[in-house]
Amino acid sequence: MFSLYKKEMQSFFFSPFAYVLAALFMFVFSLSFATSIGSLTSSTLKFSFPNIFYNNFFYFIFLIPILTMRSFADERKGGTEVLLLSSPLSVSKIVLAKFLSIATVFLFMMTVSMFFPIYAACKGEVMWSSLFCAYIGFYLWGLACIAVGMLLSALSENSIIAAVLGEIIMQGFLFLDNFGATALVQSYPKLNSIITWFSLQRRFVFFSQGMFRLEDLVFFLSVTAVFLTWIIIAIEKRRWSRS
Amino acid sequence: MVEIKNLTKYYGNNPAVRGIDFEIRDNEILGFLGPNGAGKSTTMNIIAGYLPSTGGTVTVNGFDITEEAAQAKKCIGYLPEIPPVYPDMRVEEYLFFVAGLKGVKRAELKAQVESAMERLRITDMRRRLIRNLSKGYKQRVGFAQALLGNPKILILDEPTVGLDPSQVIEVRNLILDLKKDHSIIFSSHILAEVSAVCERVVIINKGQIMAIDTIENLQKSMVANTLLNLKVEGDKDKVVRLLKDVRGVKNVSDIEYVSSGVYTYKAEIENESVRKDILSVLLNNDCNPIEVTMAKLNLEQVFLKLTEKGEKRTSLQDLLTEDAATAPASENPYDNEEA
Repeated sequence: MFSLYKKEMQSFFFSPFAYVLAALFMFVFSLSFATSIGSLTSSTLKFSFPNIFYNNFFYFIFLIPILTMRSFADERKGGTEVLLLSSPLSVSKIVLAKFLSIATVFLFMMTVSMFFPIYAACKGEVMWSSLFCAYIGFYLWGLACIAVGMLLSALSENSIIAAVLGEIIMQGFLFLDNFGATALVQSYPKLNSIITWFSLQRRFVFFSQGMFRLEDLVFFLSVTAVFLTWIIIAIEKRRWSRS
Repeated sequence: MVEIKNLTKYYGNNPAVRGIDFEIRDNEILGFLGPNGAGKSTTMNIIAGYLPSTGGTVTVNGFDITEEAAQAKKCIGYLPEIPPVYPDMRVEEYLFFVAGLKGVKRAELKAQVESAMERLRITDMRRRLIRNLSKGYKQRVGFAQALLGNPKILILDEPTVGLDPSQVIEVRNLILDLKKDHSIIFSSHILAEVSAVCERVVIINKGQIMAIDTIENLQKSMVANTLLNLKVEGDKDKVVRLLKDVRGVKNVSDIEYVSSGVYTYKAEIENESVRKDILSVLLNNDCNPIEVTMAKLNLEQVFLKLTEKGEKRTSLQDLLTEDAATAPASENPYDNEEA
């Protein structure tokens, strides 16, 4: 399993792929960082890093499908899926190795973005506890999205289609919040509570406020696990009914 | 070594493989022959554990391919039709990756990769990106990959397709060399190729086994069907009648006009001794044989004969003794599997 993980990491880091994505991530982050600093006045000292994450969710979500689009679609297209599936590795190990490698790249992107808080800490004060909480929340949110993106890649043979579908679904996740806030849904409290329960963003808000709730941790991890299992089932299913 | 019992595979409602049985013995090269879409690749994919079967069992070295997949797969080196290489990896890097994937121990890793590269003569390409290699070299990298982990069984799906003639010979020699410590199943749709390296052949068509026989028997059946090319001066109908009356002549065909009173004939005869009778009959009846040449029945013709039949046969002899003029089987609608 480690050799597959290593190979996946090499394909990210021996090509410009991971660096370009990390640069994009940094770029989006830096723009918000600069504008937030620029709009600081002595009377409103409300600048916070978690807010940057929250306000830029829209941009960040576009990164994840790009990260995951190649994972299975390219293997199928290049005919290398045969190599993996006829190797002694089980499907679940293959999925896990690929997931861990993408999770590592995502971790790398986030680590790089730590540049901004560290820079800010040199010039002023940073609330590290809430910042770390926000990072953890963002990472957990990312893991769930990675699992979704990988599933789409496993279902399609074309990585571009996998990416586009991924963007649509990520948009759907964002939309859940707005949908939950509509007057129509608000008038049905039960429906509203179901929708907000599934909202990934709302759960991130707790993290960004420095609240580490076990409920949210379990939620993100179980969403990730469900989608990973789904990938395994999807691959097995295709093996059985390939046409 | 490998036992295949009643193997069946359906793609949706289309049967690709329909209840085939055969075995691969220790240290033998088994040829697996069939036209495109016959179910060769499907069968090989199932043996290699890439696809699960719809029914039947595959036992590799005592391990069931679905029940004890990991152990069974460790005994198998598989070279699919399209070499499963990553274009953006270097040759050496790729081989190390595959060796790791197959669970080769760290201590043996380097030695195994080196020996595989040496065997396939790609050592001087080790630093090259696979993307930049020619088709022949890509095929070799794919082949090297199959050798890693010292598998007992090698499954080679059309390993010589797309190679130039000198490379084909190299691959053949390599396969013969590998026979010493491997059991090999080798597929092709070219009969001559299979007969050059294999001891036994399995001929498959439309998902069913048409024949399992040794190459010797195959050759015997071919010798039994020798073609005699005749150029005779004399009345055409008379010559045909005379030829057909000779014992041991099975068929006279392809009568072609050469010049006035001279025609060429193709006579299918049982064995070479018939030739003498033919000549004496012709001379005694005032026909003048101008030219007589022998031609063995083409391997491809035997193969075509076999794959034309719709029904299941047990040996090549059965099929060849039948009249070639019997109607071929009706087109079956399920013959749509990709290579």
